[in-house]
Amino acid sequence: MSLAHSFELNLYAIGFKLLRGHWRKAAFRATFLGVARQFLEPAAQHTTEAAVSLRHALRKLGRTDREILFLREFEGLSYAEIAELLSLPMNTVRSRLFRARMALRELLTAPAVKTASREFAESEGRV
Amino acid sequence: MNTTTHPVAPEEVMAFLDGELSAAGGQAVSAHLEDCAECSELAEQLRGTSNSLSRWKIESAPMELTASVFDLAVKKQKGRKVCRSSIFIRASFWTWKQWTGGLGVVAASLILLLAVATSNRTHSPEMADRALMFVSESAPQEHRKRISVDNTGVDGPPVTHRISITPSAIVSRQNTPGVVADSNRLFQGLGDHVPDALSLSPAPMIARTVSLTLVVKDFNASRAILDATLARHHSYAAELTANAAENAPRSIQASLRVPAPELGSVLNELRILGRVENETQAGEEVTQQHADLVARLKNSLETEQRLQAILQQRTGKITDILQVEQEISRVRGEIEQMEAEQKILEHRADFAAVNLNLREEYKAQLNAPAGSVSTRLHNALVAGFYNTSETVLRIVLFFAEYGLTILLWLVILASPGVLLWRRYHRMLAAL
Repeated sequence: MSLAHSFELNLYAIGFKLLRGHWRKAAFRATFLGVARQFLEPAAQHTTEAAVSLRHALRKLGRTDREILFLREFEGLSYAEIAELLSLPMNTVRSRLFRARMALRELLTAPAVKTASREFAESEGRV
Repeated sequence: MNTTTHPVAPEEVMAFLDGELSAAGGQAVSAHLEDCAECSELAEQLRGTSNSLSRWKIESAPMELTASVFDLAVKKQKGRKVCRSSIFIRASFWTWKQWTGGLGVVAASLILLLAVATSNRTHSPEMADRALMFVSESAPQEHRKRISVDNTGVDGPPVTHRISITPSAIVSRQNTPGVVADSNRLFQGLGDHVPDALSLSPAPMIARTVSLTLVVKDFNASRAILDATLARHHSYAAELTANAAENAPRSIQASLRVPAPELGSVLNELRILGRVENETQAGEEVTQQHADLVARLKNSLETEQRLQAILQQRTGKITDILQVEQEISRVRGEIEQMEAEQKILEHRADFAAVNLNLREEYKAQLNAPAGSVSTRLHNALVAGFYNTSETVLRIVLFFAEYGLTILLWLVILASPGVLLWRRYHRMLAAL
């Protein structure tokens, strides 16, 4: 593993830790202090129906599965890199990724699309 | 899809599409995909899912997060320590399981510490011993004094013997010299009163108390000198305790009664036994108290005499005679009580109380006879066993005493705690 690659993985690790800390703080504030959550809504504006349904489906995945899926699909990390980053066995990463992809496909089928369509219609109404 | 009909696992199909298989594995999966429609469909589904995701554009991370990541990365790359210590950084990334475990361990440690500390406080044998020492102090009006003497030998366990002596046998007030050798001149002229003619004497009566702590080099010689000093000055020990524990300095705690005129001489002789570590002297003026007592006693005696005269000279009804006799009996009781009080008061003024603490200057001895290794190991094991069982017993006693209360508080706090915990996890999952 090259130095640049290692540095990149370290950056990912730092980013993950900061993000988890942020989540915990936000959940703590929402639970104990009653501070409203502030979601980052990716592509909240100029969104499409497909994007809304996809976001809806992604939210239903487990956190670890979602992280593995994101790291693979959007960051292009290999299974070994994901395993190192999340401190998981490589076989676990592979099986979880498969499970996440299958679950996502299931969620993107008709019932979920209907829900997403309703959500999309609501969001369009708001905008 | 199973591996009996499909030699390739579905995860391997996915890995093939992701380019994660070796060349040989990739060729095998590729060949299988050409023959198997079901696996080809799976591959298409996986490709479709990836395409769906690729069409979704993720918004870039906030600047704050980017800046934080770069800041930490630069510091890590330069090998510098970040602002907070590593333990706090690690703690900030702990999972809820780690937090729960850590807090549980801390809480359990605190409870155990509290249990042991509480048991130590409530079951300390030293407290009981101290209480016994106070209780065992003889009342000052007792004529028979009790002396407790421990076995002062180094060998063998300390054994306490109690003997009784009569102070009047060793003290003769008639032989008491009237010279007071008080170096501090605090008690000059005291103790030389004549109790029977106190009302005529202006000399004050003072009950004196001296506390003296000495550290001596030769303990045995000091003990002998102490006994000789007491005998020479007609003094006695109201209570005496000698300790001679192994590998510890020997000591004597004694409560001495010294004739007041000889207090100064006795103190001077005691001081030269060793180094004076602490000395406290106090005096309580009892002159007025004694004078009042004597006056009341005199009045009561006169009353008794008058009643006796009435009884002898007057004749009358039998009831009157009985009343006079009852009155004589009451007055006689008062007289005897006051005479006892007078004696106690005079004794306190005549005999000063010296609380002596004599301690040996301890030197560890190289050639001290130490037990064999097996004996010492055996003793250590026995002591360890007793300590362990005692600690366990204290913990059990603590929970027997406070367990229900702790349980009650846990029940009270559990419901809102669980609700908050669940809410927290719901919030965390929703983010």
